[in-house]
Amino acid sequence: MLGLSVSRALCKCLSPLPAVRLQPLYTGAVLTAAEQQNKSSQAFDSSLLQFLVCPLSRKQLRYDESTNELINDDLGIAYPVVDGIPNMIPQDARMIRKDQKPTGSDQESE
Amino acid sequence: MAVPVRAVTRCWRPAALCQWLRSGTPGCQFSQSTHSSGRDTHFGFQTVPEEEKGEKVYRVFESVAQKYDIMNDSMSLGIHRLWKDWFINHMNPTPGTQLLDVAGGTGDIAFRFINYIRAQREKLIRNQTKSQQNLSWSDISRSYSHDQLGPLMGSQAVICDINKEMLKVGKDKLQRLGYSEGLSWVAGDAEELPFADDKFDVYTIAFGIRNVTHIDKALEEAYRVLKPGGRFLCLEFSQVNNPLLARLYDLYSFQVIPVLGEIIAGDWKSYQYLVESIRRFPPQEEFKEMIEDAGFFKVNYHNLTSGVVAVHSGFKL
Repeated sequence: MLGLSVSRALCKCLSPLPAVRLQPLYTGAVLTAAEQQNKSSQAFDSSLLQFLVCPLSRKQLRYDESTNELINDDLGIAYPVVDGIPNMIPQDARMIRKDQKPTGSDQESE
Repeated sequence: MAVPVRAVTRCWRPAALCQWLRSGTPGCQFSQSTHSSGRDTHFGFQTVPEEEKGEKVYRVFESVAQKYDIMNDSMSLGIHRLWKDWFINHMNPTPGTQLLDVAGGTGDIAFRFINYIRAQREKLIRNQTKSQQNLSWSDISRSYSHDQLGPLMGSQAVICDINKEMLKVGKDKLQRLGYSEGLSWVAGDAEELPFADDKFDVYTIAFGIRNVTHIDKALEEAYRVLKPGGRFLCLEFSQVNNPLLARLYDLYSFQVIPVLGEIIAGDWKSYQYLVESIRRFPPQEEFKEMIEDAGFFKVNYHNLTSGVVAVHSGFKL
């Protein structure tokens, strides 16, 4: 292929520049694209944790992989992640401890 | 179907429509026993207890979610696309911008945002190549490392909507179109956003804020999550300032839109609500003052299509 031979020639010309640097860059891009496809469709996108807080206490949340929930340990509330979309509506959240109630939620689950 | 066809033809006459509006269909009447906060709000032209509004709005959008896009196109004759394009051009986001799009369920704003960022990046690269015609090998290797930032150069759009059905439709749609990178979807309430303080560069809400029960609370939350220097942008139906167009617009809204809703989506009531909620939303100047009350500076607005919609903008300084 023309592209391949060009890049090979390019690598040869760039003897001070390690040829391996070009290679991982390319495969890396392919991998992330495939990963992204997979990740965004089902699993929770953990990069969201930098933005997300509990809407009631505005404290950071912990993602629990086993239950697929975002957990506020202080208040004992677990927010479900459905189809990769975290549901941060207190009325839909599950209470882990019985002694504390999230405000405004009468039902524990839908 | 929510309303029988006979009812549609009956309501076509303005007098009958008014009567129908006043009396409401049996399904629209609410029991008065559920007042608990004692405070009423409006749901379209009806007065309902505050606690009920959220639920009612939720049901409206749950029922229209699947047909939302096709209805938008047919009701606005495609003009909503131009409004949204104008909105993004007005925002003029730079690569790296962190966007929070509230009530952005079907992803219309986020999708345009991603496109805009991609175009900006291409322009940047084009300009760079124009200025550097004699590249050294080190320049070439640097251009490779530049790519590591990704095609969006760190930009991200978080789409937050209270309605899970709308989110589902939007996420599926954008995935089909090949947009997944840089997009995150969250179910959350505009009145108590699940985001930390000072996180976003731009907060947008397009055709969403009139459905929020407490608009002032939503504005305060917008202010909270924006970084200092961040911008609030709202696209919403507003008051038509041309009297002739206003007459035509009223006629079209009340006589045509619910009928279209019934024919295309089989749902008269939801579209009746949409039209009514537009009339209940405060006009341009009043909404501008509300934004200022929330703490925003340099608040201004632009009317599009003679004020059928308006874009309000404000900064957190």
